[in-house]
Amino acid sequence: MFFYNLRLALLSLRRNPALSALMIGAIAVGIGASMTMFTVYYLMSADPIPQKSAHLYRVQLDNWDPDKPYAPPDKAPEQMTYRDAVSLMKQGPAPLSNAMFRSFTVAQPSDKNKSPFPVRVRVTYRNFFPMFDTPFEYGGAWGKSDDAEAHQVVVLSNETNERLFGGENSVGKSVKLYHRYFKVVGVLKPWRPTPRYYDLTATAFAKPDDVYVPLSLTAPLQIQPGGIMSCWKSNGSDFQSLLNSECVWLQFWVQLDTPTQVAAYKSFLDDYVREQKKLGRFQRPLNNHLRNVMQWLDYEHVVASDNSILLGLAFMFLAVCLVNMMGLLLAKFLGRAAQSGVRRALGASRAMIFYQHLVEVAVIGFCGGLAGLALTWLGLRLVSGLYRNYEGLTQLDPTLAGIAIGIALVAALVAGIYPAWRICRTSVAMHLKTQ
Amino acid sequence: MRPILSALLRNKTGAVLVVIQIAITLAIVVNALFIVNQRLALIGRPTGMDEANIFSLYSFGFTSNFRAGPTIQQDLRTLRGLPGVIDATPINLVPMSSSGSDLTLTAQRGENVPGVDAGIYDVDEHGLNALGLKLIAGRNFTHQEVDYVDPEKDYTPPVVIVTQGLAKALFPNGGALGKTLYWGGKKPSRIVGIVKRFYGNDYSGHIGWSILLPDVTTAKQIAYVVRAQPGQRDRLMPKVEKMLGQSNRDRTIMQMSAMSKTIAGHYREDRAMAVILIVVIALLIAVTALGIFGLAVFNVNRRRKQIGIRRALGARRVDIIGYFMTESWLMTTIGVVIGSALAVGLNYWLVMHYAVPRLAWYYVPAGIGLLWVLGAVAVLMPALRAASIPPAVATRTV
Amino acid sequence: MLDMTHINKVYRTDLVETRALRDFSLHVEEGEFVAVTGPSGSGKTTFLNVTGLLETFEQGEYRLDGKDVSRLNDNERSRIRNEKIGFIFQSFNLIPDLDVFDNVDVPLRYRGLRAAERTRRIEQALEVVGLASRTKHLPSQLSGGQQQRVAIARALAGEPRLLLADEPTGNVDSLMAREILQLISGINEYGTTIIMVTHDPEMARYAHRNVHIMDGQVTELEPADVHLAARQQPIGAPDGRSL
Repeated sequence: MFFYNLRLALLSLRRNPALSALMIGAIAVGIGASMTMFTVYYLMSADPIPQKSAHLYRVQLDNWDPDKPYAPPDKAPEQMTYRDAVSLMKQGPAPLSNAMFRSFTVAQPSDKNKSPFPVRVRVTYRNFFPMFDTPFEYGGAWGKSDDAEAHQVVVLSNETNERLFGGENSVGKSVKLYHRYFKVVGVLKPWRPTPRYYDLTATAFAKPDDVYVPLSLTAPLQIQPGGIMSCWKSNGSDFQSLLNSECVWLQFWVQLDTPTQVAAYKSFLDDYVREQKKLGRFQRPLNNHLRNVMQWLDYEHVVASDNSILLGLAFMFLAVCLVNMMGLLLAKFLGRAAQSGVRRALGASRAMIFYQHLVEVAVIGFCGGLAGLALTWLGLRLVSGLYRNYEGLTQLDPTLAGIAIGIALVAALVAGIYPAWRICRTSVAMHLKTQ
Repeated sequence: MRPILSALLRNKTGAVLVVIQIAITLAIVVNALFIVNQRLALIGRPTGMDEANIFSLYSFGFTSNFRAGPTIQQDLRTLRGLPGVIDATPINLVPMSSSGSDLTLTAQRGENVPGVDAGIYDVDEHGLNALGLKLIAGRNFTHQEVDYVDPEKDYTPPVVIVTQGLAKALFPNGGALGKTLYWGGKKPSRIVGIVKRFYGNDYSGHIGWSILLPDVTTAKQIAYVVRAQPGQRDRLMPKVEKMLGQSNRDRTIMQMSAMSKTIAGHYREDRAMAVILIVVIALLIAVTALGIFGLAVFNVNRRRKQIGIRRALGARRVDIIGYFMTESWLMTTIGVVIGSALAVGLNYWLVMHYAVPRLAWYYVPAGIGLLWVLGAVAVLMPALRAASIPPAVATRTV
Repeated sequence: MLDMTHINKVYRTDLVETRALRDFSLHVEEGEFVAVTGPSGSGKTTFLNVTGLLETFEQGEYRLDGKDVSRLNDNERSRIRNEKIGFIFQSFNLIPDLDVFDNVDVPLRYRGLRAAERTRRIEQALEVVGLASRTKHLPSQLSGGQQQRVAIARALAGEPRLLLADEPTGNVDSLMAREILQLISGINEYGTTIIMVTHDPEMARYAHRNVHIMDGQVTELEPADVHLAARQQPIGAPDGRSL
């Protein structure tokens, strides 16, 4: 019966090609708009590291101005001072913790024929790599002694290795950064967590950095921070004053695997701040926070309100398309009530008539879904071109394609149920006399 | 009117669906148009700079041989000497770019004095001319006032130039020119000039609250803003990049960008929102219009006989057209009445959750007008077709 | 075959109440060919709709083929229509999108027959009505008489026990009308019970028996012998006759 109904549906669609195109077009446009926005929203709010997002915590301490909160009403700074970050690295009871910041320099390839180029630098402890599950193509993270003794070692992103060494295994070779030679110890595989949860400053969807160097080099090389720095207290202009200042510019993360560890770390933070209060720092009330990855993304409003508005409007748009389609279906079905009357007279039950029309609606929904998928692809190209760093947010994967077809089918069926029901309820005898 | 109403009531569901569609369409269109206009107004604000003719670039020294002071002076000589260049200035950061530096200023000396955050821009005496800023009071910096400052040293300029916006924020009672402001309530600087407008960055405070300092920081990184004669910008940009790049191998030239492009980048998200919403509005209007059109075509076909009878009984073509137009107008009107309430409700929800401003009242009547026109246009063709149905249809049986 | 006793059928709208059938009783033997006549609005069509299980009624009893079908639900009535009853309409009621073959196929589809069996029946039915060569034509490509023959084939393919014809010759010319009546009579000879509604006394003469309906009631049953005489007339030349 399904294939019979399918054939009837196709016949019916062919009979009014303009009307069929209108209905398929309506649902396709609705799906295209809503799926474009949904894809962006879905990828924006995605868990960038599902295997351990619940165990990675961003640490916030409130070292801000006693007279004025960092941000109203009573928010603690997102980032941390250099001195606190280094202290927490030394003293904190976490299985894994990491302090880091962003910098900027020029990479000078040892090959003189290649010209120097600017690179974004992540200045970090070696813990960055195991903590954030970075995949290595060659080599690995630098060793503990490199951190302790401030060795000039570097991990390259896949792209940077491509640019510097043509993609070959460059472990053991060297590159000039901050006008000094750095030895390559590892090369990452292509890696792009979206959102870039571990450092959301600037934009949440930017690519990871180009090179990674030990944070212990900050003081000896006077590595200038290149990300966002916020200060509330004036300090001297020389580099050492900056390191000792109350300016915040480092991101601090810990990995805590059990509730006990979380509780222990929380009380450690409170003790640390109380200790610092005795030294005259941290004059605001205790305001320390541990937020895991998803809590952090939420706290930082990674999904911009524009995206929420667009998602809402897009689904309202889909609703309009469905109401539109429902009207057209109703008109179409009622327009051929006589045919259904004949079928009923010839022995079709109501259920069969209902089924026949539902198959037709499903065919429209399926075609609309396919066309909608194509429009979604176009829509995502448009969105990707309009925003910066949205490449990671505009990828249609099979799951999303499935969702699109699914929504189209469900939407079409929702729009079609009433017209199909109406047509199977009409009186049989009414339409059999001369039309 | 009465027969139309009763005909509508007989095909209740179809009419209700059109009404719902028009109502939601109005709600979306009104709110989307409102947001679009908000964003376009934001994007269209003048920055106070000669946006069309200036461009900017960074010089970044990366070898141990690099000497900032002499390099900057050499670069400035090169830039100012180029034919087609009106003026050039060193600057700490490019205005309207994604980088910015802000500090807190106060009108009185002292700790805990409430202050305003302003965007900091270090320029020399060519700054005003190179940026194309309009001085409305006081004077420009003199050559003698401009210091070349070691980044490791503390520095407070004796004189500054502020924007009118910042002047008002600091000294609401006016008379800012000649007054002294304080950096974080401590070190003083005297205001010697006021520019009408200069948009720098909006990381804190207000995008129009900017302050100009007469100094050049001799750091590894320095930006230049170059103002070209009208029409010369695009020719000069690659030339400047090449010349400066070749003149000194201890640094690299980066982020060469026309100011108009930098500004576009600043408003990228607002423009994206506006573009997406315009696309949504256009598609929505198309879908709704085609929906009304499709239904009208159907109704005309279904009522062929009825129309023929009316024609046979003496209805003129214009009566038939009027009939369908009135029917559509009636549905549109009921739709927009409901839609107005929906539009206001949707705006209220956006205001509550997403810091969208309250809807300006005239958007609702504008949207209603739009949908009236839309309804009329969509139904015109089917109505004309109905009018061309011959009266003879009445006497045909099938 | 068919037994109706004291059936009442009322149509109600907000303003009027029409009693379409009033205490209506009728008995039809298996294998009979009954013509139902009556003026417009007499209840002919309602009678046919009730007989064909297209409409329900308020009071009375209706037995079809020995089974009480008065109070069946919609599904059960659909099944009986499908399996036991064939319809022929004045306006043919072919489905315009479907070709001749597929039109005849419609009732068979709802019976759930296998493809081979359906094809066999369709071909056979079209053979009987003489349209075996036109299976791929659409209704719009056929003349009125041909369309009605397709409709007859559609009714035949289901191998019904009871064939209901509603003014089957109303929309075709007189020559074609006679051909169609011959076809229907032929079907009757193979044992199918036929009830035909018509307002044309000429056509009614092909039946064994005439039932006249007036104001929702059977008013007269004409003597069977007249009709038997009519049946003995050579088929194809009923023109010259008059009552």
